[in-house]
Amino acid sequence: MCHKYPGLGRIDSNGANNANKIKRVFYINNNIYEKTYHGSIRCKSCHTGVTKIPHNGIKKVDCATECHIIDPSSNKPFSHKKIVNDFNASVHGSEGSNTSAKEDLPVCKDCHSNKAYHADYEKQTAEMASLKVCEECHKSGEFTKRFFEHISYRTTKRRSSKEVVKLCSTCHADKELMDKHELDIVIGFSNTFHAKALFYGNTEVPNCLNCHAPYQLGFSPHRIASQKSSESPTHSENKHLTCSQSGCHIDAEKSFASGGYVHPSPEKIKISKIIGSQEKTRFQNTVIGWIQMFYKVLITLVIGGLAFHRVLDFHATRREKNKGGH
Amino acid sequence: MSSEQKTERKFLRMTKSQRVQHVILFVSTTILIITGFMLQADNWLIEIFGDYGEIIFSIRSWLHRIAGVTVALVCAYHLIYVITTEEGKSWALDMLPRLKDAVDAYQNVLFMIGLRDEKPKLDRFMYMEKLEYWSVYFGMTIVIITGIMMWTEYLWPRFYLEVANVFHLGEAVLAALAIIVGHIFSVHYNPHVYPMNRTFIDGMISEEMMKEEHELWYEREIKNLDKPAAGTDSNEKT
Repeated sequence: MCHKYPGLGRIDSNGANNANKIKRVFYINNNIYEKTYHGSIRCKSCHTGVTKIPHNGIKKVDCATECHIIDPSSNKPFSHKKIVNDFNASVHGSEGSNTSAKEDLPVCKDCHSNKAYHADYEKQTAEMASLKVCEECHKSGEFTKRFFEHISYRTTKRRSSKEVVKLCSTCHADKELMDKHELDIVIGFSNTFHAKALFYGNTEVPNCLNCHAPYQLGFSPHRIASQKSSESPTHSENKHLTCSQSGCHIDAEKSFASGGYVHPSPEKIKISKIIGSQEKTRFQNTVIGWIQMFYKVLITLVIGGLAFHRVLDFHATRREKNKGGH
Repeated sequence: MSSEQKTERKFLRMTKSQRVQHVILFVSTTILIITGFMLQADNWLIEIFGDYGEIIFSIRSWLHRIAGVTVALVCAYHLIYVITTEEGKSWALDMLPRLKDAVDAYQNVLFMIGLRDEKPKLDRFMYMEKLEYWSVYFGMTIVIITGIMMWTEYLWPRFYLEVANVFHLGEAVLAALAIIVGHIFSVHYNPHVYPMNRTFIDGMISEEMMKEEHELWYEREIKNLDKPAAGTDSNEKT
């Protein structure tokens, strides 16, 4: 009613200083909203308890709410409750996580924005022969189109691998946040072969979710578990199954996935300073560290020596030439 | 250059087989270095390729493997060549490190810094050339073994692959820098030969340069020329 007017908003002031004032825009563009995933759901289905103006004392949106949509598969009001429960029990959820700073845990909206279907995808589906086939029987054009989009959009990759990596990195590459939760900062990934191929745009290499929540093996991004959990696809006992998913290292044996971290942070690969990890990992990191050191020394000596010899040679040749000339 | 007269003699330094082996090695190594370091670039640089990235990655991967196999084959051929052919045997024999090389190195450094008046008399291959030649054996053994390991990644424990990866990369950096600082300099920017030493193309070395840089070899060759039967591995032009 009110939110359709551009410019609707409120100025929040944090203290007396004018510089701290923030304008919060409450305008909703209906044309865009209708094209979003939730476009057919009315505001109050999610923003429950809004009965008066101003909207005081209302609860935050709870994605587990039953909304006013009937799930055609069960004929019951639809809800994300199952996923919300799964998520809460996962390592990212309020029940599954053993962190004391629960306020840092991600919520639905951190990963899911109620984004619009891509305009080009809309255009594409409108012309698809398969949609025409549906419309032969299902006359409700808008519903059929939406249903078709819903299904077909989910068969394609919704986020590119780069987007997934960037999304997970917002928290997992934040050193301060990871230190606070005593987690390893995941910046080592960007140096792996997987990351390089992924940034070139190769679609065969895994992003975070392909190993930490592989749908193929029955896991889901909403049920991510700690690598210490025996249920986790990244647990040392299960890792080889994760690596040998179809399309990946299909012949991988258990030893292939053995050992420590797949993408250790660079500070873990140091000779002396090793952050508490298992003995085997510690030994392996030390070996890798020594080889790197060996090459650093060798390269410095060989290249330095070569360069020095060339400079001397150059100098001597000029000297001899000048001698000859005079 | 002023002494470029029609009487200048040239001697054969690289036979046709050696030049062909060198060109194959040089072209494949260049491809390997470029396609290999494409994996070391920072991600923001990689993203510049945009939509072409995927196809570039795929071409990169294949080129690296094809060039890798080519290099392995030319190395294997070279081993057979030095064992079985006369010119190969003579090449390898002259490349063997000797005590004289250490003496040469010491004396040459003294000469270069001006503490000695005369340049030591160097043989067919001087100590730097020997060092470069045998480094290729050392380097190739490492990159070929670790390359095969990474190509057959599913056969190996992850730790072995990490070790292989560190060796492969370390050796690649070393080789690339050594080629740039050492080899390209001596072929292109060395004041004796600037802008380019053409030996790797035509196989010849001028009498003047041979006398200056490989005096011992020169003297031996000249002696051989005097004996009518022993002129097989030297080619005289007038």
